[in-house]
Amino acid sequence: MPRPLDGIRVLDFTHVLAGPFCTRVLGDLGADVVKIGTDSRDAGGGGPESPYYAMWNRNKRLLQLNLSRPEARRIARSLADQADIIIDNFSVGVLDRWGLDWDSVAQTNPGLISIAMSGMGASGPWASYVTYAPTVHALAGLTYLTGVPGRSDIGIGFSYNDHMAGLHAAAALLAALAARRRTGRGQRIDMSQFEVGVGFSGPALLDWFANGAAAEPLGNDPPWRIAAPHQIYPCRGDDRWIAIAVETDEQWRALRRLLGEPAWARSVQFDTAAGRWNARAELDGQLAGWTARQDDYELMERCQRAGVPAGVVQNGADLTQRDPQLRHSNYFFDFSSAHPLLGPMQGERLPMHFSETPVERYERPEVYGESNAAVLRDWLQMPEREISEGTAGGVIQ
Amino acid sequence: MPAALDAVRVLDLSDDRAIYAGKLLGDLGADVLRLEPAEGDPLRARGPMRSGESLWHAFFASSRTHARADDDAAAIHTLAPQAHILLDCGRLSAAAITADELLEANPALVIVDVSSFGPDGPWANWQAPALVAEALGGVAATSGDADTPPLKLFGDQYAFVGGVYAAIGALSGFHHARETGQGQVVRLALHEALVSVLEHVLMWAWYDKLLPFADNSKGPFLPRQGSLHWTRAYQVMQARGGSIMLTIAPDLQKQLAWLVEDDAHADLLDPVYAEPEQRLLLIERSMDVLRRWAAEQEVEPFFHEAQRRHHPYGWVMPIPEVAANPQLEARGWWMDYPVGGGAVRGPGLPYQFAETPGGITGDPSRPQLCSAEQIIDEIGWGG
Repeated sequence: MPRPLDGIRVLDFTHVLAGPFCTRVLGDLGADVVKIGTDSRDAGGGGPESPYYAMWNRNKRLLQLNLSRPEARRIARSLADQADIIIDNFSVGVLDRWGLDWDSVAQTNPGLISIAMSGMGASGPWASYVTYAPTVHALAGLTYLTGVPGRSDIGIGFSYNDHMAGLHAAAALLAALAARRRTGRGQRIDMSQFEVGVGFSGPALLDWFANGAAAEPLGNDPPWRIAAPHQIYPCRGDDRWIAIAVETDEQWRALRRLLGEPAWARSVQFDTAAGRWNARAELDGQLAGWTARQDDYELMERCQRAGVPAGVVQNGADLTQRDPQLRHSNYFFDFSSAHPLLGPMQGERLPMHFSETPVERYERPEVYGESNAAVLRDWLQMPEREISEGTAGGVIQ
Repeated sequence: MPAALDAVRVLDLSDDRAIYAGKLLGDLGADVLRLEPAEGDPLRARGPMRSGESLWHAFFASSRTHARADDDAAAIHTLAPQAHILLDCGRLSAAAITADELLEANPALVIVDVSSFGPDGPWANWQAPALVAEALGGVAATSGDADTPPLKLFGDQYAFVGGVYAAIGALSGFHHARETGQGQVVRLALHEALVSVLEHVLMWAWYDKLLPFADNSKGPFLPRQGSLHWTRAYQVMQARGGSIMLTIAPDLQKQLAWLVEDDAHADLLDPVYAEPEQRLLLIERSMDVLRRWAAEQEVEPFFHEAQRRHHPYGWVMPIPEVAANPQLEARGWWMDYPVGGGAVRGPGLPYQFAETPGGITGDPSRPQLCSAEQIIDEIGWGG
């Protein structure tokens, strides 16, 4: 079966998470992604022997070049001539030094699309600043705002912006492919991971510019509207929790019935959203006393069946071992072959289901040099003798 | 200069789970028509507000034409044959329209169907507003501190996740349709999408035995631990005048050299820390030393000096300081969003296309109730 991006060639100079996540998505969608590995560029995300690297580098072919050698840079340049897309998330200027910037390559490959996913973008007083996701979270307001009132030191507990920068880069590249089909020309895209992150506070920033209102951390209250009960409540067991989000009077009445219509819940102050909001400390306290005696999954089932939005706070073990919805959709899978360094591997599918071009092919992440010969043959028609000489001479590793 | 998606027609029937997809496509030049229900778009009531107009809606529903039809089903049947992409979150089934009908009339159409859990399965019909979606999707378990409940992220992040995936589904389907003439349905479950952006969480569940520092006494997951990164090498710390995210990554030796230069290295030169098996001890001790050192620094010059030395520290900024950021200003990043006859500053695009630049366009005014024919005449999609 065809995949949506069959025939698209991607030359991948990314490392750590944001860039590799973008090219993982492109590879899942059917693009032929060739990842260039270099000894000096594994820092920060580990190499193919690392589970972290393995998470983001499936569906790619790995070509290991010693880019400190001019012969290797010539090979990379030839590969660039065959590519539809070149992508990197280095600091500004690294690809330029290798002669792989868009202006150079486009002289011989005018259809090339290149995207530089730097931390801050290619211009501006902070262009040379270096970022990881926690850096961007801090600078973009995401750390400040994701917390409880009075604390701005919590933030997001995972590298959200890396994933999202990768996804935005994929969207940008697909848009540039559409433009190329119309114009016949490729182009250069300057992407700022910082700007991706700042965009996630869009409504809060408009509120600041329009009203001078500065958003503050709210815990689990919804911003800019009232809804109660709307919290994460403890359940029976060690660190077990459930989210309950009552947004209508009808949902509140349904929850009250589940509670068994206790006297405290029948108080008229709780009949309206405003009343519940104003008395939410009391409401949350009473509700937490009830939920703390309940099993989280059983309570979620009862709430949802009664029309009350509720969900268990699922951790990684819950997601991978218990979540019946993910099991139903076969979201997790085992790679068909074991990784030479890490052994049997699992993965999660691309969360998109195409009716005519199903995305069902998942090749395990490769190890150093695993596709050296195949890539050089496929993309450059390089004779075996040259490949052997390059390998023996340390140009191809 | 035409934008990247110039002349690509998108019929937007989405709710909050995919509304951001329409913005991404419209910002890049697509001709996006947001067909509101006859009673109006409920997202126009979502705060923050200015003079009765929703700034939430102004942001997420930007770069679009807005229309309102007296007959939803008739309008969809009239508009979908002229569209390249259709974004849906259940409006088609509510109007008793099937994807097959639309694809028969327009075989190259790409229908992106975004739901909370997918079309079937035990949770298919469950309700999952932001708090519930982020709880079930693993986001909340990973955010918060040991002395707080699990936390959802600020500001409807589930809408960004669903939207960007929907845009990718739409554009990759569109690419295939342009190559082959074949349209299709792309289904996306927001639950799966959220699970896909959890960084270390799945790795921890699957490969905990390969992670030398994983303490899995409670199971193969990492309990929430505030801003402390799963590697224990990044954390928000208090400096004078503000908070700052400090890290010893990617080069501990370079960080150590700076500490030595400042005579703040404490006992970090002790050979005990050089032993490979003491790696975790070294990380934890280094972070402890950084914490004491940072407490003596003025946050702003400290941040800039760190960045001058290529240390990826991050100054924790509240919204007013983000809004005044000199980098964003210098790149001309901010754009004007039309709101209630005026304009409000807001986020620009996170990418600059050299040849086909995008931007914020459209008029979000509340549309009049019209017939399908009037709408298609007005927007120029006829024929």
